[in-house]
Amino acid sequence: MRLFWSMVGVEVRKRMSYRVDFWINSVVGFVTELGVAWFIVLAMFSGADRVGGFSRDGMLLYYVAIILIARLVRSTDLEWAIADDIYQGALSRYLLYPVTYGVLKYATQIGALLPALVQVALFGAWVPFVLGIPEGVHLTPATVAMSAGAIVVANALHFLSTYPIQLVAFWADNCWSLLVAHRLIAMLFGGILLPLALFPAWSQPILNALPYRYMFAFPADALLGRLSVAEYAWGLGIAVAWCGIFAAVSAAVWRRGTLQYTGVGM
Amino acid sequence: MIEVDKLTKTFTVHQKEPGLKASLKSLFVRKSITKTAVKEVSFRVDEGEIVGVVGANGAGKTTLVKMLAGIIHPTSGDARVLGFRPWERKRDFTRQIALIMGQKAQLWWDLPAADSFLLLREIYQIPEEKFRPALDYLVSILDVKEQLTVQVRRLSLGERMKMELIAALLHSPRIVYLDEPTIGLDLTAQRAIRDFILRYREAHRPAMILTSHYMEDIERLCRRILIIREGELVFDGPLEKVVQIYADHKVVTAHLQKQPEPVRETDELRALGQVDTCNDVMIKLRVPRPRVAEVAAELLRRYPVADLAIEEVDVGTIIERIIRARREADTAQVRP
Repeated sequence: MRLFWSMVGVEVRKRMSYRVDFWINSVVGFVTELGVAWFIVLAMFSGADRVGGFSRDGMLLYYVAIILIARLVRSTDLEWAIADDIYQGALSRYLLYPVTYGVLKYATQIGALLPALVQVALFGAWVPFVLGIPEGVHLTPATVAMSAGAIVVANALHFLSTYPIQLVAFWADNCWSLLVAHRLIAMLFGGILLPLALFPAWSQPILNALPYRYMFAFPADALLGRLSVAEYAWGLGIAVAWCGIFAAVSAAVWRRGTLQYTGVGM
Repeated sequence: MIEVDKLTKTFTVHQKEPGLKASLKSLFVRKSITKTAVKEVSFRVDEGEIVGVVGANGAGKTTLVKMLAGIIHPTSGDARVLGFRPWERKRDFTRQIALIMGQKAQLWWDLPAADSFLLLREIYQIPEEKFRPALDYLVSILDVKEQLTVQVRRLSLGERMKMELIAALLHSPRIVYLDEPTIGLDLTAQRAIRDFILRYREAHRPAMILTSHYMEDIERLCRRILIIREGELVFDGPLEKVVQIYADHKVVTAHLQKQPEPVRETDELRALGQVDTCNDVMIKLRVPRPRVAEVAAELLRRYPVADLAIEEVDVGTIIERIIRARREADTAQVRP
């Protein structure tokens, strides 16, 4: 565990050495995403008072929440890091260490969360005061705590879901397009592009069974008080189960992939 | 400590002709060839030995080292390093080895080296009472105390290489692989790295395998060398034996008293040996070993010799000749 937190510390220090990058990512990224969300909400509510059970302000708060949560779940720019290590041959140095590569990389992801945490603190803290707490939203210390727990699981789930895809780089050299496809699917079925409540009723059981809801929409719903304790516990259980499935798949792909590894670029 | 038995590694490499048409075609049909990077190589290295692996670019040196470090799996054959199969990457194995690559940074680029060393302490679980003296020793011997707090990417190549050495040796590995450790360094830095490697070897007695293109690295550090040619081990033995086996001649140089006219390259002179140089101040001949004494005497008799030197052929030249031999043989075969 000491090694894990040391690795987290290294990544935090590394992130803190790029100030301009941090501010560009924080301000430009957040303002752009918020602007897009604002126009989507305006389009949704033209001529309608409620959509999918949300009021206009409630929907806007949902988008702000899910944008910030997505930053905490996806971390910053590490979605390609493992594929890149394989492609560039940088994996070689990790293979020499008496540690598990995936654990080191996860620690790196946690360390890279620091900018996201600061962004959330900077932009998230004032949102309830600006937008107010719309009707139907129950933002309490308990829902914040529930959401925090869900975010922790979501972060691990997101990492584990991209891990086997990135390991395809052992065979394909470059799996960028697969990761883009995964990102789009996760955004669609995870409730970032549209709240899942807007999907047809027949698709809801499928969305509930897939892992993507638990990456983004689930922590946002927990934050906004849209989940009962039972729904929350059940959802966390499904998320943890998916973590186990992805971990098992990753381990199998890793075993096969390292047989193919050539360390090119070393 | 290192036992290698018929280790072989083949790679499948895709081939693509240049041009747009070939690029489009390669999306559907691809030619691939199987390249044997290392072919049935066998040898052993004992504690405290530094063995030099030499060969041309693409001869298979780095592939061999990668297999022995556990980075890649062999296609066939076996190897035991400290009793472990390297590619199984057991924790007890990786804790006892180090690989230093001159062409690839292993330190965290954006951090000062001191931070990387702290992280390595955790990775290798080095107790503080061992870590601090080891770090102090390596820092003082390599004279890099001032650079410890500078971001690695801001260090010069020589300074970075010294930091790489420290990073690799902090955990006192029993096996050290050095892959081109002096590449790109200036002469002073090269000498410092070589001196350090020798001192480290004396102090810790690890088994070391060194690959390098610089003959000075090999001559200074290794008593034994492995010559690899197109994946095959063509020589394994003491460095001086290379000269005895492969240099069938010596170089005889006669420095002449100043002549009014240059010495002519006559048939008589050519009968003594292969003429390298012939002018008014020097005659330099390559002479078969058994005839050296006779030729030296003949030169003294025929010419106004001021000084005479009999030397072995430069070991680098011999190794270069061995490495090139196969390629030249192949070229000769395809000639009409």
